[in-house]
Amino acid sequence: MSKPELWVIAERRLDHIEPTTQQLITKAKHLAGDQFHTVAILFEATNDHLEDELKAYGPDEIRVVRDDRFPTATDAEHADALEQLIKKYQPNSILFGATITGRSIAPRLQAKLQTGLTADCLDLRFDDETLVATKPSYGDNIMCEIICPDHRPQMATVRPNTFVAEAADGAATVTTDTITFHPVERLQVKAATPVVNTATTVGDASRVVALGRGAASAATIDTATKLAEKLGGRIGVSRPLTDQERFTHDDQIGQSGNTIHPELILNFGISGAVQYLVGMQDSQTIVAVNADKNAPIFDVADYGYVGDASAFMTALLAQFV
Amino acid sequence: MKIVVCIKQVPETNDVTIDPVTHNLDRRGLAGVMNPFDKNAIELALHLKDTASEDVQVALLTMGPDDYAESLREGMAMGADEGYLLSDRAFAGADTLATGYVIAQALKKIDDADLILFGRQAVDADTGQVGPIVAEFLHQPQITYAASLRLSGKHEVTAERLLEDTKQTLVAQLPAVVSVRSELNTPRYPTPRNIQLSFNKPLTVWHHDDLDLDDSRLGQAGSPTIVTKVYAPKPVKRELTSLTGTPSEAASQLIKALKGRQLI
Repeated sequence: MSKPELWVIAERRLDHIEPTTQQLITKAKHLAGDQFHTVAILFEATNDHLEDELKAYGPDEIRVVRDDRFPTATDAEHADALEQLIKKYQPNSILFGATITGRSIAPRLQAKLQTGLTADCLDLRFDDETLVATKPSYGDNIMCEIICPDHRPQMATVRPNTFVAEAADGAATVTTDTITFHPVERLQVKAATPVVNTATTVGDASRVVALGRGAASAATIDTATKLAEKLGGRIGVSRPLTDQERFTHDDQIGQSGNTIHPELILNFGISGAVQYLVGMQDSQTIVAVNADKNAPIFDVADYGYVGDASAFMTALLAQFV
Repeated sequence: MKIVVCIKQVPETNDVTIDPVTHNLDRRGLAGVMNPFDKNAIELALHLKDTASEDVQVALLTMGPDDYAESLREGMAMGADEGYLLSDRAFAGADTLATGYVIAQALKKIDDADLILFGRQAVDADTGQVGPIVAEFLHQPQITYAASLRLSGKHEVTAERLLEDTKQTLVAQLPAVVSVRSELNTPRYPTPRNIQLSFNKPLTVWHHDDLDLDDSRLGQAGSPTIVTKVYAPKPVKRELTSLTGTPSEAASQLIKALKGRQLI
């Protein structure tokens, strides 16, 4: 009997593969062991070859379906195409990135299949053939383990940057498949333009200068900006600072925002709510500066200074050559 | 034209704790409030009502215990015309699929909704799944995470949607289901006059027998997913090296340490 299939739904970002897809392939391979057949599902236009961006991560198979309507297909059209493949192959489990696209297509598909879908997961494991998905709730303050015991496929969307993509040996078999594309006439994508300001999120940076309530003045933010430039990194913020006009959700660490694991994070004036700590604790080197010596941030830090965040930051910047 | 905004009541704060004995969520003393993201959807509906050339009726719909009526009243105090509460013990324990089913069946009974709006997600469970599920059950087009929306013709809306790196412009023939981003607008506050008016606006409660329902798709029994464990995440402790002295002295200790780790 052939092995049950574990799918990763590949997602495109303009002309490339969205990085979460590669992260999920790596995770799927770790989960699969010898137990599952890992398959990346890729929808692309006739002349696309995005499978080339997946091969290095070593799924057992890359199953490609080509149709020139895919790049501008709507959520319902994607869900319909996926449903056709699922009926054909009966996969055990399906993983999506918890991107805007993934979080829009997956629940539509869930309703078609009448199965379970766990949102925005931070961890996954299998107990035999049951997928155990860890999902944050209440703004990441609480974690829930969720299973879908009696329905297949089991589905989850997984938060971007939760897992690290790793190149893997082994030649992925590329196969092609077909579906019947059912256009939805009542909804048309009239235009799709790249967002001019391709703002990176804090999750993309390898060095992060993180600011919290204790480092929120305009002058401190200016100093932090210079420090981030020197480090070749970027600023991130805890939730209280997202109220400021200059910061958005893309800058926020933790809290159903960005789970990050940079090489270096310097935390200024952040006391460390649980969801924040969990959102950045996998960073390689963690530095904390806070006026309160009992702040929880010091529990997870490698280096800590009890004192004024702004004064320390100014001194640190001055000593950079 | 009729707009139905689907809303949820959530705990006032996300600072919930786990009871160390029962391992259940301790929600004692937490008041319920309307999910903040849902106010953006209500604001959009009221903006369309204020600006459309045709008459626009705005209804609110929620599923939950009787005290969820408070959030309906709040939305009516913002300016919505009426509220629907779907309340029955049989609906309790529903996951997103079973919730979406009951809401879709209620929308079928309301029948004449041209536009169905949702907030981007609820701040307690953070799934954002119910909107697309309802859209699928009603066989309607969906536009999720809309950054703008306007009526662009007879029975037609044009919306912008921001994906991670792309701005899409979509045109949908109504009826359609739309979920909105919180950046879309700033929700209005209830005025004293609207608060007073809200108490005379119709609030309809539908129980199990008021809807056409397949019992196997309701509540816990109709939910494919099961929560097997709930816990507070515990950050992993590290061994802390203290930086000491003046800020300048401490900064120089840090620079030395970061150089040692080849980070600078």
